[in-house]
Amino acid sequence: MDRHFDEELQKVKKNLLEMAALVEESITKALEALKKKDLKMASEIKEIDHRIDRFEIAIEDQCIELIARHQPVGTDLRFLIGVIKMNNDMERMGDHAVNIAGSVAFLIEQPRIKPVSNIWSMASEVKEMLKDSVKSFMDNDAERAQQVCARDNVVDEMRDETIRILLTHMLEQPDKIGSAIPLLLVAKNLERIADLTTNICEDVIYIAQARVIKHHAEEQK
Amino acid sequence: MNRQKMMKISVEQLNLFYGQNQVLKNISLEVYDKEILGVIGPANAGKSSLLRALNRLYEIDYARISGKIRLDGENIFNIPINDLRKRVGLIFATPVVLPGSIFKNMSYGPKLHRKIKRQELNDIVADALKAANLWEEVKDRLYDSASTLSGGQQQRLCIARTLAMNPEVIMMDEPCSGLDPISTAKIEATMLELKETYTFILVTNNTKQAARTADRTAFFLAGELIEIHKTKKIFTKPDDPRTDDYIRGRFG
Repeated sequence: MDRHFDEELQKVKKNLLEMAALVEESITKALEALKKKDLKMASEIKEIDHRIDRFEIAIEDQCIELIARHQPVGTDLRFLIGVIKMNNDMERMGDHAVNIAGSVAFLIEQPRIKPVSNIWSMASEVKEMLKDSVKSFMDNDAERAQQVCARDNVVDEMRDETIRILLTHMLEQPDKIGSAIPLLLVAKNLERIADLTTNICEDVIYIAQARVIKHHAEEQK
Repeated sequence: MNRQKMMKISVEQLNLFYGQNQVLKNISLEVYDKEILGVIGPANAGKSSLLRALNRLYEIDYARISGKIRLDGENIFNIPINDLRKRVGLIFATPVVLPGSIFKNMSYGPKLHRKIKRQELNDIVADALKAANLWEEVKDRLYDSASTLSGGQQQRLCIARTLAMNPEVIMMDEPCSGLDPISTAKIEATMLELKETYTFILVTNNTKQAARTADRTAFFLAGELIEIHKTKKIFTKPDDPRTDDYIRGRFG
């Protein structure tokens, strides 16, 4: 019986990891399309997002079935609750990738703006955070998850810096406002993806150690 | 997949009466080949009566029956009773072990049906005990009295004894009602392994057991079949509010 249930839990984990790989692909491709201003590549993100959405529904369905049929407790319950939340967060990340890809069309129509290198550093940090958060889930590694959470502040600072640079551009060259706004939105979307990776890591810590670290819950106790 | 091919048992408009008391009311359902069909419902729902109809055990109760029951498309009322009960085995809530050794319990059925050489009999006994996940626990004490086994082991002995008859359908009536959680888990694991080969009908008052093990689940109430669906549907979004009340323990 336990073996059968364990196999079902492994299937859920495998599905979530496959979904995470698609989310990573989607974000990487959206940023690539942005860098190259490649509309065709940007248009492919929607198709990936549909696949992500289908995963979300299937994983949620699997979790509901396992909770209804097996009444899990302890680690198994934490795992399934954690997966339901991560599933939702990953789907949201997919939506942010779609938003980033959506900026490509706006940028093509606008006059060129001086390259904003901060965005690319921010993008690579966010991608690393996502990769590490997924790895922490894969290995049930609370320590790694904790480290990823600490990196969210770095991304927040990068976003603030990017906004400052873009505002300066806009003030100095008002004709470039149309180009700067899509980049502002990209920075915002990247920062949200980073937030969602920390959510994933909080769930990994909850699954592995039964600790709730979000909203500084432990400090308030 | 061909639905007709999948069907093991079909029940059509089945009614069963004990005297004036109608215990099954116009029941129609199908049992698919190599599935575990869970049957749940409160007391007097007709769950056990359904099992007693399917292998014609009701006949010893002088009950009246109407409707059709087919096993692999064959009318069960045309099948010789011993053949029917060999093909459709029934395991009760309380394990009924025969006086005598574990081996005797196991060999009694096969020997009753035909002459068997000793070696073949040994193989049948060992294979059935292995399939019922009991072999490792009893292989060195086959000639001990069966009554020395624990309750959970006795129930697995009953399953093994049924398997030794090479049945097609195994019906279980509350097989774990008197067992601790670990013995229950062993019986459930045995069922899940054996469903590759056999068709199971599991009557249980423990809705969670049906949820864990059954592929489809039927909910009975006062002799009526309220609904039958995939277990996932029954336990997440049943059609009938009475089913929802029952699985949530809010019944009555």
